[in-house]
Amino acid sequence: MIAAPGLDAPIELRIRLADLYCAYSDALDDGELERWPDFFTAGCLYKVIPRENFEQELPIALIYCESRDMLVDRVVALRETALFVPRSVRHLTSNIRLRAEGPDGFRLTANFALYQTMVDRPSELFLCGRYHDRVVEDGGSLRFAERICVYDSTIVPISLVYPV
Amino acid sequence: MPPADGATGYPIETGVDTLNARRWPDAGSSRIPNWVYTDPGIFAREQELIFEGPGWLYVCLEAEIARPGDFKRSRLGTKEVVAVRDASGELHVLVNRCAHRSAQFCSVSRGSAKEFVCPYHQWTYDLGGNLIGVPFRRGYRGQGGMPADFRLEEHGLQRLSVARRHGVVFASFSPEPEPFDRYLGDTMLGYFDRVFAGRELVVLGYLRQRIPSNWKLMFENIKDPYHASLLHVFLVTFGLFRLDQQSAIEMDTTGRHGVLVSRRGEQQENEATRQMRAFKPNFALRDPRLLEPVREFEGDATVVMQTVWPNLIVQQQSNTLATRQIVPIDTGHFDLAWTFFGYADDTAEMRQRRLRQANLMGPAGLVSLDDSEAMLLSQAGIDGNEAAECIAEMGGRAVHDEPHMLTETAIRGFYQYYRRVMDL
Repeated sequence: MIAAPGLDAPIELRIRLADLYCAYSDALDDGELERWPDFFTAGCLYKVIPRENFEQELPIALIYCESRDMLVDRVVALRETALFVPRSVRHLTSNIRLRAEGPDGFRLTANFALYQTMVDRPSELFLCGRYHDRVVEDGGSLRFAERICVYDSTIVPISLVYPV
Repeated sequence: MPPADGATGYPIETGVDTLNARRWPDAGSSRIPNWVYTDPGIFAREQELIFEGPGWLYVCLEAEIARPGDFKRSRLGTKEVVAVRDASGELHVLVNRCAHRSAQFCSVSRGSAKEFVCPYHQWTYDLGGNLIGVPFRRGYRGQGGMPADFRLEEHGLQRLSVARRHGVVFASFSPEPEPFDRYLGDTMLGYFDRVFAGRELVVLGYLRQRIPSNWKLMFENIKDPYHASLLHVFLVTFGLFRLDQQSAIEMDTTGRHGVLVSRRGEQQENEATRQMRAFKPNFALRDPRLLEPVREFEGDATVVMQTVWPNLIVQQQSNTLATRQIVPIDTGHFDLAWTFFGYADDTAEMRQRRLRQANLMGPAGLVSLDDSEAMLLSQAGIDGNEAAECIAEMGGRAVHDEPHMLTETAIRGFYQYYRRVMDL
């Protein structure tokens, strides 16, 4: 992980931040959706939004959650109410950069490539884009207070089932 | 046999032969032959007779091209167009194809322009699509140039007929289409004007998905209230849309347009919900802000889903408003382009409510997710089973309005009109 020029983050902090990103991807890639809300603070903001809307400041998002409870509701809805064809996901997260540090936490960005594998189909690149994150110390752990997932192509292949 | 045109020895596959052999099932519009979803010849005929035929196609909202010079690209069937507002405020819908060598002259989604210049040879058009400049038209030092009889005015961009209704822009490839209000008919116009009442619209954002199914399955999905009480656990559980609620399905006189109207109910068990495996009486939201709809339209309907032939769905589910544009790609794929909107005079609370409720809609929607996956399954079952047919006989075989949800009448209405247009 790289800090922005002029930002002298201690190595221990960098390792903790890098671990957060790895553990987040692991939880989703291993299908452990129930663990996903725990990476966020209670009052978090989580959005998955096309770059087109993000850059033009249009607010509509693919997923728009304003609390950890909303994340839990989405997980329960996916598990108990949604119909979808089985698939698995694989997140590749790279270029994690610590960009700013302040009283409201650490500002980071990272690239993501999200691959998807459906039954009887080759794996395919599903979405790629950038995370815009704010990470805070929360009860002894680092958690996302904000995670805005900005995906590059507006066109989503079929549907987005699991979170980014 | 030697090739007739001297080009290749291979026959050119036009799809015409298979098309002529196609015969609709004797049972009529309540049975849909699977080849309407798979035959490239049918797809080509749909482009010609439906998308480039006499109908009105949804293009965009006026709010997207609010100022003079603003333009937006759109796609009508397989044809790319650019909708643009000229200096006088007039709207034009132009085919995105330079008259010279057919290059697309516009390659950004939205923007503002004083004129359109094709990047290839810089042929230049005004915002009304008139050709106003051809570099080296008279040649250089007596050499080259266009023929003396080449007239700029004969080589403008292809321009479509345009209709505007309360901030919504439609276009037609027909030079003399029927007036838009007559095209919709009184009943459908009433529902259209319910959401588009002339209040100023604000675009809240775009979502888009590519669905691996034939475009017609999207219309069938919205015209089919039967599935909603069974498939959509989320809708059913929270009473947003359920067959034990007062509902109706209405059509125009041709069957091409339709609406599905319903009223919100409660999350409580009753005789009907006990038959729905989908109903979950104990599922409660931890953060109920997701679903706090408020009434904002006349009357007690809380859901009105309108289908406008041949490429538009107008969605009003609680407080989420969107146009969904159907863009066919090929027999087995279409894009669904969602434009979410609100009103300029919305309060901040209402704006926030629309954003929250959008979680139910779009490519990750807690409700509409079910539909895109169901369409995937439909096409997967249709492919390879061309000789089979689909049944649309819930509620009988006739086509007429119904005051309930256990019916596929609007699907039959759609195919009744489709067969007329397609001569099938």
